[in-house]
Amino acid sequence: MDSIVSISTPLGRGAISIVRMSGKDSLKIALKFFHTNKKEITPRYMNFGKLELDKGIFEECLMVYFKAPFSYTGEDVVEFQIHGGILIAQKVLETCLKNGCHLAEPGEFSKRAFLNGKITLDKAEAIIGEINAESKAELNSSLQITNGKLAQKVKVEQDKLTELLAEIEVSFDYPEYDYDEIVKEKIFDVIRKIKKDNDEIIESSKSAVYLKNGINVAIVGKANVGKSSILNALLGEERAIVTDIEGTTRDSLKESFMHKGIKINLIDTAGIRQTEDVVEKLGIERSLASIERADLVLFVRDGSIEETEEDKKLEDNIKGKVVINLINKIDKPRVLTKKENELEISALTRKNIDELKDKIVDEIIGKEIDANALVLTNERQINILNKCDELMQKILNAKELSVDVVAMLVKNLWNELGKITGNTENEDIISLIFSKFCLGK
Amino acid sequence: MEKFDAIVIGAGHAGCEAALALARMGNKTLLLTISLDAVAFLACNPSIGGTAKGQLVSEIDALGGEMGIIADKTALQIRMLNRGKGPAVQSLRAQADKNAYHTEMKKVLENEEKLSLRQGEVIDISLDGENKIITTSVGLKYEARAIVLATGVYLESEIIIGKTREKTGPNGFKNSHGLSSALKKLGLELVRFKTGTPVRIHRRSVEFSKMEKQCGDEQISGFSYLTKNRIENKAECYLTYTTPKTHEIIRNNLDKAPAISGEIVGIGPRYCPSIETKVVRFADKERHQLFLEPEALDTEEMYLQGFSTSMPADIQKEMVESVIGLDNAEIMRDAYAIEYDCINPTELNLTLEWKKQKGIFFAGQINGTSGYEEAGAQGIVAGINAGLYLAGKEMLVLKRSDAYIGVLIDDIVTKGTNEPYRMMTSRAEYRLKLRQDNADLRLTEIGRKVGLVSDERYKIFLEKKKKMEEIEKKLDTKVKLDDKLVKFYELHNESVPKESVRYRDMLKRVNINIFDIKNHFNDFQEYEYDILEKVNIKVKYEGYLKQQEEDIEKALANEKMMIPEAFDYSSIKGLRQEAKEKLIKIRPLNIGQASRISGVSPADISVLSIYVKKAKRR
Repeated sequence: MDSIVSISTPLGRGAISIVRMSGKDSLKIALKFFHTNKKEITPRYMNFGKLELDKGIFEECLMVYFKAPFSYTGEDVVEFQIHGGILIAQKVLETCLKNGCHLAEPGEFSKRAFLNGKITLDKAEAIIGEINAESKAELNSSLQITNGKLAQKVKVEQDKLTELLAEIEVSFDYPEYDYDEIVKEKIFDVIRKIKKDNDEIIESSKSAVYLKNGINVAIVGKANVGKSSILNALLGEERAIVTDIEGTTRDSLKESFMHKGIKINLIDTAGIRQTEDVVEKLGIERSLASIERADLVLFVRDGSIEETEEDKKLEDNIKGKVVINLINKIDKPRVLTKKENELEISALTRKNIDELKDKIVDEIIGKEIDANALVLTNERQINILNKCDELMQKILNAKELSVDVVAMLVKNLWNELGKITGNTENEDIISLIFSKFCLGK
Repeated sequence: MEKFDAIVIGAGHAGCEAALALARMGNKTLLLTISLDAVAFLACNPSIGGTAKGQLVSEIDALGGEMGIIADKTALQIRMLNRGKGPAVQSLRAQADKNAYHTEMKKVLENEEKLSLRQGEVIDISLDGENKIITTSVGLKYEARAIVLATGVYLESEIIIGKTREKTGPNGFKNSHGLSSALKKLGLELVRFKTGTPVRIHRRSVEFSKMEKQCGDEQISGFSYLTKNRIENKAECYLTYTTPKTHEIIRNNLDKAPAISGEIVGIGPRYCPSIETKVVRFADKERHQLFLEPEALDTEEMYLQGFSTSMPADIQKEMVESVIGLDNAEIMRDAYAIEYDCINPTELNLTLEWKKQKGIFFAGQINGTSGYEEAGAQGIVAGINAGLYLAGKEMLVLKRSDAYIGVLIDDIVTKGTNEPYRMMTSRAEYRLKLRQDNADLRLTEIGRKVGLVSDERYKIFLEKKKKMEEIEKKLDTKVKLDDKLVKFYELHNESVPKESVRYRDMLKRVNINIFDIKNHFNDFQEYEYDILEKVNIKVKYEGYLKQQEEDIEKALANEKMMIPEAFDYSSIKGLRQEAKEKLIKIRPLNIGQASRISGVSPADISVLSIYVKKAKRR
C-alpha cells in the first residue's frame, strides 16, 4: 500500500509534535531527508538526527522506525518527534508529502491496522470511535472553513459558477425555449471574472506563506534605543529557534518565536546585539540591509529624548514598508513628540510586549486570523485552488471547442471548488434551473 | 387457473417493453391492460424523445427494445436538438402520430409468439410461496413466478378540471381501483403524485398565419439502429405566445385554480408547471411560449404544448382564446390535472425488483417517474431482469457510466424522488460518453448477452463496428504534401502543415471534419453518413473521452466493492443513526451507491468499507 503520513499530535502548541508515516516505503522516504550519524537504523530504537526541511534548513529531531509487522498499522512505520508548534509539524508533513507520501484520510492508520489484523474484532468499536472522532475534527475544521474568509470567497466563486451552469444546462435541456442561447463568450466572461477572484484568493492565501515560513521582522533604530532589550523581551521565555540564513555571513542570524501559531523571525539578531556597542554608522548600514529583507519593520525610538537626525534618516528609509512605530523606555518620562499610530512599550518592564506581538501578526496576516486559520491554508486547499486556476486557464484556451466540452470543464471546475465548500450536490444546479427559468409543457 | 412464466400489469410504454423483453427471452408472458384501446397510448404530448430522452430511446433500441422502431415508423417529423452545441448534448426528438403509435405497438404485441395480450383489470395480488397470483375484476385468476407492475398513472387516479373531480384514468379511460390497497396489503407505501395535460384544439380553428411554422430536419436517421430509411417531414408544428390578456385572465381566476387554491395535494413536477403556476411564479415574464403540435395524421386534433392547466373549463376557453392565433379556437378536449398513486422507488433494488419480495418488479410512472421514454427504459430493464430471475441468472444493472438508463434507475432507487422524475442531460455526469450516436456501441453487446438482441440486429451491429474499424485504420493513411493538400488546409482556414500528414491529424483540426476529407480527397465514399459521423466524433473528442474514461475508472473502484446482500447494518455501532437508517432502507448494492445516498457521510462510508472488507474476508 502507498505510504501515508499525518501529524499525530493535536494541532496546537505543545512541547513536541509527532509526524507519523506508514507504508512499505516509509523508511526509504524518511531517509531522503532525515540525516543521522548512525550507520544503520535499528527498529524500535530512538535515532537522533536532523531533518532537512528545505535546502540547508535543518530541524533537530528524534526518529523511531517500527518494522512491519511490529507496528501499530502492521506496516513499516516511521515517527518523527520534533519541536512543538504547528508550523514545524506542518513543514515536516509537507516534506514527507513532497517525498512521496499521501496525506492520510481520517482514521486511515486505524483502518490499516484493522485490515492488517493488528486489531481484533473486539477492538473494532474503539477504532470506529476514533474514526468518528477524527471525522468530527474534520467536520469542525470544515465548519471553520465555512466560517473562514477564504471559504466564503470560494463559495462566492462556486455560486457564480452554479448560476453559469444553470444557464448552460438549461440551454442543453430546454433548447426549444426562448431564453438567450448561452454563448461561449458569456461563459468565458464569467470564467475570467471568477479567475480574477480566484487569483485574489490565491494571492491572499499568500498569508499562508507567512504561516509556513514565518514573518520576517527587522528591529531598526539608532543606537541605544533598546533594540537589544526589545529583542530579548520578545523572545522572552520562548524557545528561540536560531538558524543560519543561507548565503549570508555567519553573523546574520535570525531568531524566532511563536505567537498565535505564527512563527515570527527576528532578522539580523547578531547585528542588533553587536551594533549596540559599535559606531553608529555601521549600525545604520546594517539596519538598512535588514529593512530590505523584512516583511515588517519595528521602528524603535527612545521616548525619553527628543527626535534626532538619525531617527529622521531611518524614517525615510522605511517608507513603503509595513511599520510599527515603537516608543521604548516609557518607564521614563515622555519627552518625544507623539505621532499617530505608535505603540508605547517598555522592554524593561515588559509593558505592552504582548500587545506588540499581537500587532505584528495583525499587521501582516489580519486581525481575524487565529491559529486555527491554518486549516484554511493547508496544502490541500491551496492545491485545489491552483488546480482550479489551471482548469480555468484550460477553459479560456478552449475557445474552439464545442460548448458541451466547455460545459464539462466548467462542471469539473465546479466539482473541484466543491471540495473546499463541501457542496458537490448536482441537485443544486437542477433546482436553480427550475427556479430561474420558466419551463414546462 | 392459467399459468404463465411472467405477468405484466399495464400495457403502457413500460409494460409493453417489459412484456416484449420477457417474451423474446423465451418466457410465456401475459400482458394485462385495463383497455386494449389504451395500449402504448401517448396520453400527453404527441412526441417521443427530446434532450436526454432521445438517448433513452436509442438505448432501449440498442438493448433490443421496441420504442425506437415504432417511433421512427410513426414519426411525423424529427429533429436533432442542440445541433450546434456539440455531440454530448445532441438528442433526437420526433413528433409521433399517436394513433399510429398505439396501433403499431399493439400489432407488435399481438404478433409476438410467446406473448398473450389481454384486457383485464387487476384488483388483487397474493403470494403462494414463490408464485404470485393475480385476480382481475371479473374474477379470473392467473399465476406466475415473476410479475412486473407498470400501472402508469392509473392507480386510484382522479382527473381534476376546476371544481370537477372524476375518478378516471387519463383521457377518460377507466382507472384502477383496488390494486392500490392490494399493494398496501403486500407492504408497500404509496405516495400521491400529480401531472397534467393541456387542451386539444381543432386544426380548422387555428390561424396559422399568425404563428411561426416549425418543420423537422430533412433526411436524418431516426432513433433505431434498425431503421434504414430516413424520416420524412409529414406534418408541421407551430410556435405561438400567450398575451397580457391571457395572464390577466389567469390572475383574475387564481381562486378557481385547484393547484394554487390547495385543492390538489399531489406533488407536481417542477419542470412541467401549469400555465397558472408559470404566470404566478414568473410574474415579470410578459409572454410564454406555446407550441401547437399535430396529434396524428388521421385527426384534426392539435396539442397545445405549454398550456397545461386545471382551471375550470369555461376559464380554459377564455384563456385559450386570448392566445395569438387562437381567437376562434374550438377546444376538442379540456386540459386536466391528474392525481395518482405511486410507490417510493427506494423500495426497489437497482434491478427494479422489490427489495421485500423476489420476483416482483416495478417499472414506469408507478415508480414516480414521468415520460414515455423514462417508462420504456425502466420497462425493458424490469422485463430483462424478470427474465433473468426466471432463468436463475445474475440480473442486469446498468451503471451510470453505461447509459442514461443507468443514471435514471440509480437516481430514483438511491435518492428517491419527491416529484415525477424527468431525465435531463444535466443529471448525467458522463454525458460525453453517453451520446445519442453510440448507444449501440455501449449496449448492444449487453442486450445480446441477455438474449434480447435478435440475430438481425446483432449482424447490423457487427457490420457497423467492422466498418468503423476500417475507417479508423484508413485514417492512418498518409497524404503527401502537395498542392492539393495545401489547398485543402487553406480552404478550411487552417495553417498548412510542413510535411505529409495522416487523415487523423487533419481531423484534429477544428475546422476540418471527416466529410471535408471525404469530399476533397474523394475517399471514404463507400461509408454511410452515420458511421462516418460516429468516427468523426470519436476521433475529434478523443482526448476528452479519454479523460472521462479515467474519471469513470476512478469512480468504479467504489462501484466494484459489493456489499453482501444480507449485510447487517444494525450491528455496526460506528455508523451514525441517520446513516444506519438510510442504509437499511436503501440497501445499496455497492459502496459507490451507498456514497450517493443523501445523509450518508464520507466518514460513514469509511466505517462501512472496513466492515464490508472484514465481512468478505470471513
